[in-house]
Amino acid sequence: MSSEPLKTTKGFDPEMAGKRAECDGGGQFGERYMRREEFAGTLSGDYEDHGDPAWRWYLMKDLTRKPEHYPWDSVWCEQGNLFFEGE
Amino acid sequence: MAKNPLHTRLCDMLEIEFPIIAFTHCKDVVEAVVNAGGFAVLGEAMHTPDEIAADIKWIRNKVGDKAFGIDLVLPASVPPTGDLDELRKQIPQEQMDFWLDMKKRHNIPDPKGRIDLHQWGGLNKEIARKQLDVLLDEKVPVICSGLGNPAFILEDAHEKGIKVFGLVGKARQAKKEADAGVDAIIAQGYDAAGHTGPVGTLSIVPECVAVAGDTPVIAAGGITTGQHLAASLCLGAVGVWTGTLWLASREGDNDMIIKDRLINSTADDTVYSDCISGFPMRVLDCTWTKEWRSDAAPKVLGAPYQMLLSSDYIQAANDHRREDLMTEAAGQGVRFITAMKPSRQIVLDMVEEALGVFENLTGMEAF
Repeated sequence: MSSEPLKTTKGFDPEMAGKRAECDGGGQFGERYMRREEFAGTLSGDYEDHGDPAWRWYLMKDLTRKPEHYPWDSVWCEQGNLFFEGE
Repeated sequence: MAKNPLHTRLCDMLEIEFPIIAFTHCKDVVEAVVNAGGFAVLGEAMHTPDEIAADIKWIRNKVGDKAFGIDLVLPASVPPTGDLDELRKQIPQEQMDFWLDMKKRHNIPDPKGRIDLHQWGGLNKEIARKQLDVLLDEKVPVICSGLGNPAFILEDAHEKGIKVFGLVGKARQAKKEADAGVDAIIAQGYDAAGHTGPVGTLSIVPECVAVAGDTPVIAAGGITTGQHLAASLCLGAVGVWTGTLWLASREGDNDMIIKDRLINSTADDTVYSDCISGFPMRVLDCTWTKEWRSDAAPKVLGAPYQMLLSSDYIQAANDHRREDLMTEAAGQGVRFITAMKPSRQIVLDMVEEALGVFENLTGMEAF
């Protein structure tokens, strides 16, 4: 794997802060499986951009829906998997 | 003679003969299917960027200019931290005791080496991004996103001549990705292997077709026969995405124990259970799944704890090749996998069966 650090930018987007959203989330685990998980909560406005072109992630807090036993009180959501009211 | 019903937009887009996509983790299956006139996608989610680059080179040597795809499971959500050792300490004693008792009663040995299931590539945005950069640098013909929305790479990929497919489990995901400009949507139904969306294949496919506009939709979930292929085209799909079908193929690199189990299994031998990962997923029934639905079983833990608990079991089963313990993700179409056939024959059998369906329906020779 390339040892070069990936370009990562952290920032705050005031237009996203406080927005209620849902996230059709999930990811890989193990060698052959993936998981799907759903979240709903409030975006803090914090974001991270990874690489170029930028892959943007927003921090969701105050989770009102999360997988059972999900041990954290926040989640990073990829922007393309966020859904706002009416979508 | 009627128009060949199996020549779809997908065939023109990928310059393939048959609208059949094999999703596999085995390079030999990719080679066989692509050279048989189908299309194949290699799952590389857990490989390093260097390994992915080497696999792309290997495939190109085997299939020449023919198109193929690489699938990554782009994460769509990641927790703020992911310290596995810390999480492992938080597994409740009741569930841990149940596992240790099961281990004793079934004489389950310890795993021989590292625990593969602990390699959480999807928890790491940086690894996923570097994997993606390899696919863009190598200009693979097709990038498939097995979960997350690939919209952010579309401009770059299209400039390089790369097509991008997105796999979805909900119609709203299909609409969002189609609106963003993906080249095809893979609509995966509940019948599929592993973690699926909640909607059955017969419903999710036309739902996605309805919202995807001009973006072609590929059907996925429980598809193992030519009848499934014909039905998928009737639902508006331009082709099928198949996974379980190749697990027992001659080229497939699964353990022979698993191949035998697949060949002798029906849909009833698959279970949709959350006891492996904490999320519902479809797998072949095994000691672990039976134990967790017994009266003595405690409550299944949520992710990630349940996966940490099951990972020792799964790794031990595979390491020691224990037939009574081993399992594999398998779709509901497993009933129709009845022999260990070469991948080329699987493609051609599927085509012949599908053409037979259209001939029966129309009374005309289809091809």
